[in-house]
Amino acid sequence: MSIRLQLLIVALTTLFLPWAGCQYAQELESALRGSQEQSLLASAGTIANALSAQPQRVFRDTGDSPRFDAEHGDIYIYPLRNQPLLDGYRDDWDVPAAPAPLPSATGYGARLQAGSTGRYLYLYLEVDDLHFTAEPSDPNPAKDRFNRVELTLRGQGDAPETYFFATAAPGLIGAQTLQKGDESGRAVAEPRIQAFWLQTAKGYHLEARVPLSFVGSHLWIKALDGGSGRAAGVSPADAPQGGRLFYATAGLNELLAIFIRDGTRATVIDANALKLGVAGNLNPIVLDAEEPRHTWYRRLIAVNSSRLPLRSSAPDRLDDHSVAAALAGRPHAEWLRTGANPELLLSAAAPILVDGRVQGAVVLEQAGDQLMALRDRALNRLFNLTLTATALAVVIMFGFATWISLRIGRLRTAADSAVGSDGSIRLNMPESTRADEIGALSRGFERLLARLNEHTQYLRTLGGKLSHELRTPLTIVRSSLDNLESEGLRDDQRLYITRAREGTQRLQSILSALGAAARVEESIKQAERVNFDLREVLIAAVAAYRDGFPQVRIELATPEDPCFIRGAPDLIVQMLDKLVENAVDFCPAGGSIVVRLERSLGSYLLEVSNDGPPIPQSLFEHLFESLFEQRPGRDDKPHFGLGLYIVRLIAEFHGGSALAANRPDGTGAVFTVTLPVI
Amino acid sequence: MPTRSPLPLSYDSLMKKHIAIVEDEPALRDNYAAALARQGYGVKTYGNRKSAMQAFLSHLPDLAIIDISLADEAEGGFDLCRELRALSAELPIIFLTARDSELDAVSGLRLGADDFLTKDVSLPHLAARVAALFRRIDALRRPDNAAQIVRRGALSIDGEKMQTTWNGAPVTLSLTEFWIVHALARNPGHVKNRQQLMDAANVVLDDNTITSHIKRVRRKFQHIDAAFDAIQTVYGMGYRWIE
Repeated sequence: MSIRLQLLIVALTTLFLPWAGCQYAQELESALRGSQEQSLLASAGTIANALSAQPQRVFRDTGDSPRFDAEHGDIYIYPLRNQPLLDGYRDDWDVPAAPAPLPSATGYGARLQAGSTGRYLYLYLEVDDLHFTAEPSDPNPAKDRFNRVELTLRGQGDAPETYFFATAAPGLIGAQTLQKGDESGRAVAEPRIQAFWLQTAKGYHLEARVPLSFVGSHLWIKALDGGSGRAAGVSPADAPQGGRLFYATAGLNELLAIFIRDGTRATVIDANALKLGVAGNLNPIVLDAEEPRHTWYRRLIAVNSSRLPLRSSAPDRLDDHSVAAALAGRPHAEWLRTGANPELLLSAAAPILVDGRVQGAVVLEQAGDQLMALRDRALNRLFNLTLTATALAVVIMFGFATWISLRIGRLRTAADSAVGSDGSIRLNMPESTRADEIGALSRGFERLLARLNEHTQYLRTLGGKLSHELRTPLTIVRSSLDNLESEGLRDDQRLYITRAREGTQRLQSILSALGAAARVEESIKQAERVNFDLREVLIAAVAAYRDGFPQVRIELATPEDPCFIRGAPDLIVQMLDKLVENAVDFCPAGGSIVVRLERSLGSYLLEVSNDGPPIPQSLFEHLFESLFEQRPGRDDKPHFGLGLYIVRLIAEFHGGSALAANRPDGTGAVFTVTLPVI
Repeated sequence: MPTRSPLPLSYDSLMKKHIAIVEDEPALRDNYAAALARQGYGVKTYGNRKSAMQAFLSHLPDLAIIDISLADEAEGGFDLCRELRALSAELPIIFLTARDSELDAVSGLRLGADDFLTKDVSLPHLAARVAALFRRIDALRRPDNAAQIVRRGALSIDGEKMQTTWNGAPVTLSLTEFWIVHALARNPGHVKNRQQLMDAANVVLDDNTITSHIKRVRRKFQHIDAAFDAIQTVYGMGYRWIE
């Protein structure tokens, strides 16, 4: 794996930053939530205390009463701010809750909502009935079957009074009542109770207005189908204890409004969890269009509100967990989902204690979305910032890694090519002036190369030095032998002298071979270049080699025309000497050596090939190096690995090159020297 | 420049040639001295330039054999040669050295040495060389004697005096060079290989040195006659004289 990739992976670990940021944001959020809960609970407690000091303003009846029971026709009356227009629609009611279904044993669908202003009680009824049966001209509810709504009112201690709404045609109608005492059921109009009958596709709507002076503590309402006899709702006969009216306490809303701030909704409930008063409203969150509500990364981190309980949607009562806790005497706060905007709600409930008993509770609600939005915004920013930082870090690291690997690559290339094929050593490494580790590495390389260079130089000059330094002692030995010989010796003594002399001659030839490269280098320095015919030189030289090496056959192939090159013929002959000597060394007795000169594209190819073993592949690149010697077996001549090095030196002096190869059929080796044509 | 001749003290000493050997290697010095003394020469040996020069100032030898590097002076022999040549223009000087680079040979011969031998030379060869040099000196002092003269066209070689002329103009050759030319010119057209030339010159030289000797010889002739090309290289074999 390249350094670049490694550092890139390391750089990716900066992705922990956004993760840690999210964790932090979550902690921050839960802390904020906690403090919001605490402060809301404290407010709820304060309001509850204030209200418990004046229970008469909160509760109509501080006495115990049975629980609200819609099945028995108990009706909750919403406080209405404005007087609605009687038109059969409740758009102007300003009550968010939908009408509540009326109990029906016969499956007759009807829904009711009740509201009250200071003077009137309003009733809104939706009835599903596809078969409208109009009111006859002289209706008798006891025996006539027609679509109607019966309304029974009972004041405090009074006998219940029953009215009914029916019509022959939709529109504004008055209520009718049965004349008292008239058992035949003659209807009498009661114009003070008015209603609007609206026919719809599914059935009809009835929006009725009853002066509060008519309304007592109980009210029963029942919708009857004229045709089938089905009905919804209750009448006093069905539920004599039902039909109780549960009002929001008048004036309580205003009282509550004193306590609360904008953005908070306060609800006072009685011990039955029915709403007595509501004040304030929740600010829905206005979101920036640029800020997506759900960003993708919320999936990555656990920001999830779906676990929260759903807020109860009953219009007339609260029955959340916190409310139940408060009614049990414990203040409690909880987070709720609403399914609408605002999405999250904090609800804090505190009990109102009157004479030590829980009479009701104050529930404060606040939109939690502010917090959520705050967190989202913080997370968003955090995410963007850290992601940008991460991206930047990755880019910087990548660039840095590229730079580093570039430098190392340069160093490697330089190290690879520091030792040239001719054994020369380039001492200057790149990056060596840098102060860092790569610089140190480069300097290390330089030191190493310098040492290697010294060593190589030493080795290279060793031959020359040795041949020079050993010459004097050798001369001493030889001159001593000369002197000894002239002293007049016995024959046996002479034998030893002869042997000693042979030894010195061998030594002499060894020294001469050792110094050969140095001498060639020197003659190259002093060589003069002339134009000469290579072909002529070859012909003469090969003739001499044939005499010199009778044990092999030497063949010569040259072009017909003279082949002029520029250089030093003496050196060329020396080069040829080395090539032919080398070929003879490896050529079996009776084998043949072919010297061939060819012209090829601006240069002459001088080939010397011999029968014999092929050259191992691994040796090709080293053959022409100084002091490279690998010969199987031994012979009586000293070899120092200088012969082919001299060949290369001379070839390069002539602007050419030397190359070793095997014959394609593997019968021997071919050495080729390329020399440029003038 | 006044020539200081050695002052003969006796007949023996008058006849005896005195050779000075300046060589810092004692064993070698003594071996040379012994070999030359055996030939009947009076030999004086010196280990360094100072002592040699001191002796030369009072008494000049008949021939000086000088090593190039002397004790602590790497080129002391060259300096000594220069100083000696200042004392006497005719005193024969032979460089005998372990150094065999062509540059050294050229420098030595330019300084006026009569010959340049490497230490590979054997003692009999050295003795022969010394004898030859004396012979040349003596022959030069004697009146003309045409018996030994070889003539090849423009070339004439006086084997007695070891003098060479081209078109009558003298060519100043060192002894080695003289014998190389002599060997080539005696059998014109015959190829002499390097070994034969070395044998003729009584020296042991490697091929490169022979080549450079030949080069120098050609240059010396060309100095007189730019068109000189009588010495032909036979590549891979040697050289021959062509008329």
